Amino acid sequence: MWQTNLKVLAVVLGTLAVFTIVSSSIPQLQSVVPEDLSFSGDVTAEVLVAAGQTLFEGAGGCADCHGSGTRAPNLLADEAGTGLIGVRCASRVAGQDCKAYLYASLVDPNAYLVEGYVPIMADMSRTLSSEQLWALVAYLQSLGGEVTVTGADIESEGSGESTGAAVPASAAAAGPTSTSTDPVEIMTANACLACHIMDGAGAPIGPSFDGIGGRLSADYIRESILDPRAGASEGFGALIQLMPATFGEQLSAAQLEAIVQFLTDRR
Amino acid sequence: MNGARRWPVCLGGIGLVTLLTLVSPDGLLAQEISRSYGDFPLIGSRAAVWIAAQVHLLFAAFVLGVPMFAVVAEAIGIFGKDRKYDKLAKEFTRLLLVAYSATAIWGAVLSFLLVTLYPRLWVYLTQIFAPSMWVYAGLFFLESFTLYLYYYGWDRWAEGRAKMMHWGLGIMLNVFGTIVMFIANSWLTFMMSPPADVTPDTSPDMVQFWSAFANATWMPINIHRMIANVVFGGAIVGAYAAYRFLTAETDEERAHYDWMGYVGNLIAIGALIVLPFAGYYLGREIYEFSPGMGQTLMGGFMSWLWIIQAFLIGVLFLAGNYYLWVGMGRIPGAERFTPYTKYMLVVLVAGVIVWATPHTMIASRAEIAAMGGTYHPFLGVLGVMSAKNTAVNIMILTTFLSFLLYRRANKEPVVEWAKTGTMIQGVLFVVCAGIVIFYGIYGYFVTAIVRIGFSVYQVLAVIATIFSVLAIDIAIGRGAKSRGAIRWGQMPERSQYALFILAVTFTWLMGLMGYARSGIRQHWHVWEVVRDTSEFAATPALGYASQIISVCVLIFFGLVAFIFWVGGLAEKPVLSGVGSEGGD
Repeated sequence: MWQTNLKVLAVVLGTLAVFTIVSSSIPQLQSVVPEDLSFSGDVTAEVLVAAGQTLFEGAGGCADCHGSGTRAPNLLADEAGTGLIGVRCASRVAGQDCKAYLYASLVDPNAYLVEGYVPIMADMSRTLSSEQLWALVAYLQSLGGEVTVTGADIESEGSGESTGAAVPASAAAAGPTSTSTDPVEIMTANACLACHIMDGAGAPIGPSFDGIGGRLSADYIRESILDPRAGASEGFGALIQLMPATFGEQLSAAQLEAIVQFLTDRR
Repeated sequence: MNGARRWPVCLGGIGLVTLLTLVSPDGLLAQEISRSYGDFPLIGSRAAVWIAAQVHLLFAAFVLGVPMFAVVAEAIGIFGKDRKYDKLAKEFTRLLLVAYSATAIWGAVLSFLLVTLYPRLWVYLTQIFAPSMWVYAGLFFLESFTLYLYYYGWDRWAEGRAKMMHWGLGIMLNVFGTIVMFIANSWLTFMMSPPADVTPDTSPDMVQFWSAFANATWMPINIHRMIANVVFGGAIVGAYAAYRFLTAETDEERAHYDWMGYVGNLIAIGALIVLPFAGYYLGREIYEFSPGMGQTLMGGFMSWLWIIQAFLIGVLFLAGNYYLWVGMGRIPGAERFTPYTKYMLVVLVAGVIVWATPHTMIASRAEIAAMGGTYHPFLGVLGVMSAKNTAVNIMILTTFLSFLLYRRANKEPVVEWAKTGTMIQGVLFVVCAGIVIFYGIYGYFVTAIVRIGFSVYQVLAVIATIFSVLAIDIAIGRGAKSRGAIRWGQMPERSQYALFILAVTFTWLMGLMGYARSGIRQHWHVWEVVRDTSEFAATPALGYASQIISVCVLIFFGLVAFIFWVGGLAEKPVLSGVGSEGGD
C-alpha cells in the first residue's frame, strides 16, 4: 500500500516538476505597467523620445505588432520602400503634418488604417495618458525625422484646448533631418544605429559599422545606402527588407558622401 | 459522517451570505473605503488570491463536470437496462459529496481574501453584481440539497417512476450547477470584457446590470468551461479509479476500477477532442472585443504560453493513446492491431512537434539577427497555423483510430457487408486525412483571412469522419461474435500511472489557461476601466506562474487524496460486477 502511495506521489511530483522546469526554461516575459509621466513645459525632445521609446518597447505593447511588420506597419524600419516612420508620417495624409498625423493615428487608428492591414488597433487614449501619447509621438518622429513635440503640446492637450488633427502645425516636414554634414549627426538623426553597431552602441540587425571600411569599398557602401536591395552583405540577406530605400531622396549629395567617407575610414 | 460532510457546505453558504450582507449597498458600500489593497504575509496578496481562486475553481470544475456524466451513466443504466452503469453513476456521485464540501470551503476562503486584500475592487463589483450574488447564494443552497437528495435517495428511489424522478433530480442538479457557474462566469468575464460604454469615469451604480452580466466573453467562457469541466471530471474519476485499482485487494474490485478508469479516460479524451473548437470561439470573441487583448494573448508577452500548452496537450494525447494501446492487451483479438500502434505513435509525436513549434515570438534584436529574420529559417514554416491546424487534426484523427481499434478488438462482425463497411471506413479516413493535408498545404499560398476559413473545412472533415465512421462501426458490430470477454482487471500497473499523468496534466493545463485568461488583463482589474495600482499590477512571467500552478495542483490533489481516503473509511462502494459479466 505505502509502496503504491509513494509511486503515485513520485509520478505526480515528477509530472509537476517537468512542467514547472520546462515553463521556467523558456524566455521569461512579464507584462510591464506603464509609468506615469509628468513633463514640465520646457521638457526637451531627448526626454520625450526616451520616455516614448521605453513605452513603445515595453508597457505600451506597440512593438508586439509594429516591430515585425506582419500584423501592422513596421515602425522601426522601412515600410514597403516608404522610409522610416519619422519620414513617411508627413506624407500620409494631405494637409496633415507628421505630428498631427501620428497623434491622430494613436487616438483614432481605424480612421488612418494603412492599406493591406486589418483594423486591430485600439484607441490608445483609453489606456495611455496625454503625456504618454505625446512621448510616443516624439519617439516615432525621432525615427528618421525631426522631433517637434514640445511641452506646449502636452499642456494644450491637458487643458483640453487641442487634440489630434488640431495639433499646431509643425514647421518640420518629411525629408532630411537637418542640413548638417556631420556624419555622426546624420546617422543619429536617421536612426542608423537601430540596426547597425558602432563603437559598442546599436543593434546587430545589419552589418556592423566597426571596421566596415576594411571589409567593404566606398562604392559598395554608397550603393548599399542608395539601393540596399541591390546586394546585401553576406549573412544579412533575409533582413535587407528592414533597410529603408529612401536615403537617396532624403540625403543631399554632400551628406551621402560624408557618411560614405566616414564609414570607409572605419578600418 | 454525513453530517460532517454537510457542515462545510453550510459553512461556505453561510460565509458567502454573510459576506454579501457585509458588503451590500446598504453596508460596506455606503462607507468610505480607506484602502484599496491589503497585505498577505510571505507570498503576497496576489498569490494568495490566485491560489484560493485556482483551487476553488478546480474543485468547482470537478463538481460541475462529474454530475454531467453521472446523469448520463444513470440514463444508460435506466434505458439500456444495464445496472452496472447505474452503480457507476452512484459511485461518481459519492465522490461529489466530499468534493462539494471542499469547493464551498475554498469559495469562502476566496471571498474572504478578496474582501480583505482587494476591498475597493470587491466593492466595485458588488455595486454592479449584487443582485446576481444573492441569486448565486440561493442557487448554491438548492444545488447542495438537490445533491443530497440525489445521492441519499439513490437506493430508496431505485425502481419505476421513482427512479425516473431520481434521474430528474440528477438533471436538476446539473441545471442548478450550470446556472451557478454561469453567474460566477459573468463576474470574471466582466473584468475581462466590460461593455464599451463603461469607462474609468463611469460610476458602478450607472452600469446596466444585464449589459455587464452578458458581456462579450461571457457565453464563450460558459461553453468552454462546460466542456472543460467534463474533461476534468473524467480525468479525476480516472485517477481515482487508477488508485483504487492499484490498491485493490480482490479481482472483482480490480475489474471494477479498471472499467471505471476506462470510462473516465474515454469521457476525458472524448470531450477533449471538442474543446479546441470552443477555445477557437473564445479566442475569436476576445479578438472581436479587443484586438489589442487578443494580440497580447497570442503574439505578445504570452506567446510562449502556447508552446507550453501544445506540450501539455501533446502529453495528453500520448498518455491517452498509450492507455488505450496498453488496454488492448486485455482484449482477446486485439493482438492483430498491435503492429499499427508504432505508426500511430510516430504520427502523434510528429504532430506534437509541429504543434509545439513557435510562430511569432517577441524577439530581441540580437535574436532576430541570429535567426536571420523574425521567423526561424527552418522552423518558421512549421510554426504557422496551416501546419499547426493540420497537425492537431491529424492527431485527433489518429486518436479516434486508436479508439476504433480498441472498440473493434474483440468483435468478429457477422453482417455480410462487414468487409465492405470496413473498406469504406478506411476510405473515409484516407479522404479525411487528404482534405486536412490539402488545406494545410494550400493555406501557405493564400492570404491569412482565407487561411483561417480553411481551418473550418479541416475541422468539419474530421468531425464528419468521426461520426460517419462510428455510425458504420456500430452497424457492423450489430450481433457481432465475441472473440472473448474483455479481461477487466488484467491491466498492467503502468497503464494506471498514465491515468495519473492525464489527471495531473489536465489540472495543470486548467491552471495555465486560467493564468492566460486572467493575465491578459495585465495591469487592469477591469480591462481599461479599473486600474490595478497594487505592487502586483504586472502579470508575472510564465516561470513564476508555473510555480503557483504547481502549488495549486499539489494542494488540490493532496486534498482530493485526503477526502477520498476519509470517504473510503466510512463507506464501501457497490462494485459493478464487470469482471464476472465481461462487459465491454
